[in-house]
Amino acid sequence: MRRSLHPWLLLTAGALGTVPAVASTTEAASPLSDVSVTIYRAANRDGASLDLDDLGGFALVTETRTISIPAGVSRLRFEGVADGIQPATAIITGLPSGLLEKNHDAKVLSPAELVTASIGKNVWLVRTNPKTGESNKVPGSIVSDADGVVFKSAAGLEALRCSGLPETFQFDSTLEGAARPTLSALIRSPKAITTTVRLSYLAQGFDWMASYVATVAPDGKTMDLGAWVTLANANATSFSDAHAQVVAGRLNRESEEVEPIDEGAQIVAQCWPRGSTSDAPETPNIVRASPLTPGWEMYLDRAFKRSAAPAQMAMTALEEVAVTGAKVQQEQLGDLKLYRVPDRTSVASRQIKQVRLLDRKDIPIDLFYRADLPADDEVDDQPLSKVLRTRNDKAHHLDLPLPSGQVATFYERAGVPLLVHEAPLRDITLNEEVEIEAGEAPDLRVTSKVEGRAVNGATVKKLPLIPGVHVRSREIDVTNRVEITNARNQPADVELRLTLDDDTQLVRADHTPFMHNGHQTFRLTVPAEGSATVRYQTVDARYSLTR
Amino acid sequence: MLHIDKRLLRLTLASLSLGPLWAASPVYAADQDLSVTIYADDLALVQDHRTIDLTGGKQRVEFENVSAKIRSETVSLASREPFSIVEQNFDYDLLTPAKLMEKAVGHEVTIVRTNPGTGGETREKAQVLATNGGVVLKIGDHIEVLRDDGLPARVIFDKVPDNLRAHPTLSVTVNSSKSGPAPVTLSYLTPGLGWRADYVALFDEGTSKIDVQGWVTLTNSSGTTYDNAKTLLVAGSPAQESVNDGSGRYIRRPPRPTLAKAGTETGSRERLGDYYLYPLTERTTIANLQTKQVSFLDVHGVPAEHGYEFVNEWLGTSNTPVSAKTVYQFSTSARSGLGDQLPAGILRFYMRDKRGDPQFIGESRIDHTPMGSVLSLATGDAFDVKVQSTVEKRTSLGLFHWRTDMKYVLTNALPKPVTVSLLQSGLWGDTSIKTESQKSTRRNADEAEWKVDLPANGTKTVTATFDTEF
Repeated sequence: MRRSLHPWLLLTAGALGTVPAVASTTEAASPLSDVSVTIYRAANRDGASLDLDDLGGFALVTETRTISIPAGVSRLRFEGVADGIQPATAIITGLPSGLLEKNHDAKVLSPAELVTASIGKNVWLVRTNPKTGESNKVPGSIVSDADGVVFKSAAGLEALRCSGLPETFQFDSTLEGAARPTLSALIRSPKAITTTVRLSYLAQGFDWMASYVATVAPDGKTMDLGAWVTLANANATSFSDAHAQVVAGRLNRESEEVEPIDEGAQIVAQCWPRGSTSDAPETPNIVRASPLTPGWEMYLDRAFKRSAAPAQMAMTALEEVAVTGAKVQQEQLGDLKLYRVPDRTSVASRQIKQVRLLDRKDIPIDLFYRADLPADDEVDDQPLSKVLRTRNDKAHHLDLPLPSGQVATFYERAGVPLLVHEAPLRDITLNEEVEIEAGEAPDLRVTSKVEGRAVNGATVKKLPLIPGVHVRSREIDVTNRVEITNARNQPADVELRLTLDDDTQLVRADHTPFMHNGHQTFRLTVPAEGSATVRYQTVDARYSLTR
Repeated sequence: MLHIDKRLLRLTLASLSLGPLWAASPVYAADQDLSVTIYADDLALVQDHRTIDLTGGKQRVEFENVSAKIRSETVSLASREPFSIVEQNFDYDLLTPAKLMEKAVGHEVTIVRTNPGTGGETREKAQVLATNGGVVLKIGDHIEVLRDDGLPARVIFDKVPDNLRAHPTLSVTVNSSKSGPAPVTLSYLTPGLGWRADYVALFDEGTSKIDVQGWVTLTNSSGTTYDNAKTLLVAGSPAQESVNDGSGRYIRRPPRPTLAKAGTETGSRERLGDYYLYPLTERTTIANLQTKQVSFLDVHGVPAEHGYEFVNEWLGTSNTPVSAKTVYQFSTSARSGLGDQLPAGILRFYMRDKRGDPQFIGESRIDHTPMGSVLSLATGDAFDVKVQSTVEKRTSLGLFHWRTDMKYVLTNALPKPVTVSLLQSGLWGDTSIKTESQKSTRRNADEAEWKVDLPANGTKTVTATFDTEF
């Protein structure tokens, strides 16, 4: 188990506007009484797995603790909040009425910050004599830190680390700075009180997804459906003993103004030009042009990937995947679905955790093969795709909201489930039709040929538009012949889904079409090791200008 | 006050240490009082009241700690004292080791060599001849390259050249007829300071009421800290004229409008022209790289309406049911609403879960909103309320004349009845509805609206036939 980094809270008493360094900083004896993490998924994630280095979701973190607040103005510092915090979303409740302001200081303590903060202030320059090892402390002040550090001592002006001697600064201990961006609240309390404070904020660097496994029975009549909730925390902050929830459904997020950030920097000790008499003259750099063939690029890519692999493995080794046994509990949250991890758990730093979402057995399914066809055009030979269709209701042993995610379809072979396909699933609510794509069937193939295309003479009309120009209106009849072949030793149920242009009508067919999900559809059974044919006619109204 | 002492200290320090180095020593203006007016569009007006020490005659006054992003052309210095401004400069020539050496060309510096064998030091005077690629020095009667042998050698300069500074500094040369301390006001515009509003709305499903808190969020990335400043926020963005050739910028389809009805009530807030002002009640320190939030609104128990909305594009057909949008509607009027005008920002909605903890349920951006308005905000998609629209049939009735049969299947998987506002857009105006399964209203020429009441766990189908010329 990794050491969990608990968020903590510091209370600084001091008057408004004074340098906090003169005020006493006390860590309030306030054990964290509660922490809750609600994870929201990325709006548009593509891909079946969560990448800890690129999590697009976010979380609402709420922490509760009891603190003592002195009378007067004091500053509450919340340290150890998640790195991905969006400071503008911070809500602090439970404080006495006088919350003056909330601050988020992005400025962090870094070597460069120490130098910048010391400009004009007294520092000591420490110089070590390389022979004697004696170090010499010279009092002085920093004059500038723009592209190199210039300091001033009694001797005059000098530049840092340009002499070839080991040189550094010692700074005044009153300089303050935080190790990480810090959230704080300035409060005024009329009297000393003890209160329960709750801090909530939204933070990036979290995500979750639903991972379904559909196992199709050998007879193809039923399937078992199981699912995991997989949640991930890419932040450096761990939340142990936390209430964990995930929320399903799409929320509206607005693009956020970027908050200032400071990543810290090292001291730049740049000097004057340092060329010497022994420098070789610079040779012009000639780059030979090389043909950009894809093969070459691929080779480079592979070579790069090979060399990057050990690092990748090292990263993976840092990730932790925790699997818990209990199932999440679902409840309604407005128009969204909230799933609660039943027991307190830890949402550790750089951890991926899995909790069971559902397990349903013997779900009746309609297993069929589908072809998508443009209604009045040709389709060259192509395989059909397999679809598992069921309904999210009691009769089909489901009747529960299915949050969007990825479905892996398995077939059993000699008692061992084998993966056949992976496909995305959308948010599906109660009593909705569920379709799971289960991959292509190379043994079932479809072709569509245009048998005839004719202008219907009876419908041709000529209308005068302007002198000399007419609009010609006519209807075009197209007859298509669709052939489906089945090389399997079992009959196959097939659905042909036609896509018609806005002005095209299906007028005649040798099978009965029905409207399903906005498409004219034919359903037929193709015999084992046999074929079937569907013929239909469409009419399209066309207009053209003629003289 | 403490910060004045600090400034005075700095003033004395500066004149003591750097004083003799200047040909005509400048006067550093002591910080006295800062007022910052921040506009909503990354623009601030800084009014810096300081005291300068006039010496009589021509002199240079330096203003340190002005914004690093100062728009120097907007600087103005005002005072009641009789002096005239000769010129003002904003110096960006920063003091760097390389610049220090460059400015020393032709001058003498001191070289301190450390003997690597004994550790002993020797000093000698050298004249800097050139700094091109390397430093060439003339020592006594010979010429050598600085640290060509790689041995330690310190270079000591005896003065900071004129016009080189640690920070970008504003300097003003003034001509005055009298001497003595004079209060002046330096004002300038600077980007890097901005504000917006952030709202927190907690919706109570049981009572259909919201509690709304408004926070002003200030950000400072101007490179400077404004100590103990009197702060005023202006809700509105003054036009900043810019040289723009007006060449066609790509314009996005406007997002869903949030203002359902513009208000006509006047609030009690202070105004400046047509802009509302939000003064902070206490002086505050706006540190560099800081995000600061100050409360300006806290209202409880405002009635809010929770509804659903679905917009179908012209000839829109979907393969699967599509979620309707969750919409919250409330008023900003004094009698039955928030009772305030709202500066532009993001409104975040929260709702309590079964355990009573507030959970985030979505957010929406709002524009500057007058009091008395009705806001209609979409927070996300409804998981359980969906619409599937289908073009059932499209028949050509003749030249440029079509009939379109639309079917909308609305489903509700919630255990309570809901009302969905179903909109068909793209009607352009020239379209008539021949038949429909329930009466529609025309919101505008382009959109027809059906208010569809869905029973708990129920379905309803709306059909309509449109007569169009496209």
